[in-house]
Amino acid sequence: MTPAGTRGARLEAVDVGYVYPGRTATQALDGLTLDVGDNEFLAVLGPVGCGKTTLLRIFAGFLRPASGTVRCDGAAIDGPGSQRGYVLQEDAIFPWMTVRENVEFGLMARGIDAAGRRAVSAELLDLIGLSAFEDAHPKELSAGMSKMVEVARVLATDPSILLLDEPFGALDAQTRARLQEALGRLWEQRRKTVLFVTHDAEEAIHLADRIVVLSSRPGRIKAEFRVDLPRPRSLETRFSAAFSDLKRRIWEVLGLGGVSAREQVPRIAGS
Amino acid sequence: MASILPARWTRVRRAVVALGALALLYGIAAAIGADRLPRRIWMSPHYVEDVELLPTYPSLAYELGFLVESGILAGAVAVSAGRVLAGVVLGSIIGILLGLATGRATRLEYLTDPWVTFFKFTPALALLPLFVLWFGYDEVSKVLLIAANVGVVVLLGTHQAVRNVPGVYLEAAASLGASPGLALRKIVLPAAFPQVFASIRVAMGLGWVTIVVAELINPRMPSLGYLLTLAGAYPRVSTMVVGIGTIGAVVLLFDMLALLLHARVTRWMGRSA
Repeated sequence: MTPAGTRGARLEAVDVGYVYPGRTATQALDGLTLDVGDNEFLAVLGPVGCGKTTLLRIFAGFLRPASGTVRCDGAAIDGPGSQRGYVLQEDAIFPWMTVRENVEFGLMARGIDAAGRRAVSAELLDLIGLSAFEDAHPKELSAGMSKMVEVARVLATDPSILLLDEPFGALDAQTRARLQEALGRLWEQRRKTVLFVTHDAEEAIHLADRIVVLSSRPGRIKAEFRVDLPRPRSLETRFSAAFSDLKRRIWEVLGLGGVSAREQVPRIAGS
Repeated sequence: MASILPARWTRVRRAVVALGALALLYGIAAAIGADRLPRRIWMSPHYVEDVELLPTYPSLAYELGFLVESGILAGAVAVSAGRVLAGVVLGSIIGILLGLATGRATRLEYLTDPWVTFFKFTPALALLPLFVLWFGYDEVSKVLLIAANVGVVVLLGTHQAVRNVPGVYLEAAASLGASPGLALRKIVLPAAFPQVFASIRVAMGLGWVTIVVAELINPRMPSLGYLLTLAGAYPRVSTMVVGIGTIGAVVLLFDMLALLLHARVTRWMGRSA
């Protein structure tokens, strides 16, 4: 195991394309080139169906790109592995295990003894504020707590890369905001290379160092933004001018605001 | 947790009411029929005198008293329950192992599926002469007959249970570095357990259905199957009713024990059935 945050592993995608076979084959990704490393927090932002999840699943090792190559620290990715911690979009907490057993699962897979597992899980549960729930089953947790347990479960094996697929996508706005804070703090304590997929621009800005916006089907890189907001980011950050300015620019790229709206208003007024 | 207990008692109360209604209706029918039904019955080669077609409660009580006091009933229940348990355990082990294998390996499923389909609905009675020839007149044939009938049910249940394990759990486990063996033990087995268990419950019931047939092999007392066969030969309806009632009661007891075990093992589930 490498000590937390000493090095940031590198993920590369070169000219990656992916097609979902079927009666109407869908080109999910096309000629996508992406590079993330050095403990960078990269957010991949795009509308539903733009291939964000496909990209993440390729990096996680569950899909093979139809064209192009993906590498992790220079080695071709040819299957799932615990050096790339993957948090799925769906609820994947194991309901038959206690919270602690969930967090310790990856350590058990590595053959670490009970005492060693216990030390790691105690520390992580403390970090996410769920120590009191260590012996609870997931049914006793809220959706937000469950998701944080999944994040902790992935962190337990200290992966060099985190792949997060809209982890907070199914949560209500307040819980989302709270978990974003929690994840931000967690990342600042244990720096890692993170690839974070989301459709929420605000979430991307709040967490990421860099944001890549994908176009819709086939997914290509449409724009890239650097997020130079100071860390640690807080509630104040969300209401700063720099934050809303960046959000406006991203929304324009996504085709949601600004230009097109301004174009439409005079036309209606003039007619 | 707290909501489960009252719900269970409500169900017990309903079951008591339903069975009580059945007992009451039977009592009325027997009381009305006692003097009206024929007591002389034609049994193919000859007439049998003094047959009680719908035995009244007093004669049922007398018969039950006799069967209990003589130790016949207790012995029969013990022997038959032992055979059912042995058959169900053996059949379930084989069914679970095969079901896990076919559930995990699609290629194996292609191979075994035609066999399973072929034998799925083969009645126990049809296998009986074959099993006697192959495995002899003793316990082995009886237990194997139950195991064969029960095994198919558990195999199908386990296969489906394994196929129903959500892919997200397997993917999460794989990306956490779990080997196939660990994934099988810690993910597939617990996730599939509730459905596997449900199929074992069905198998247990089916085991009791099969036992009456299985005990036609080298019929001997004590056994519930032979008790019923004998009662049919005389014929003594009160013995039949007591025998059928006993089987029903034992099945009910087994099922309740199974449900208690199920609730205990699946406490992690959102709501217990």
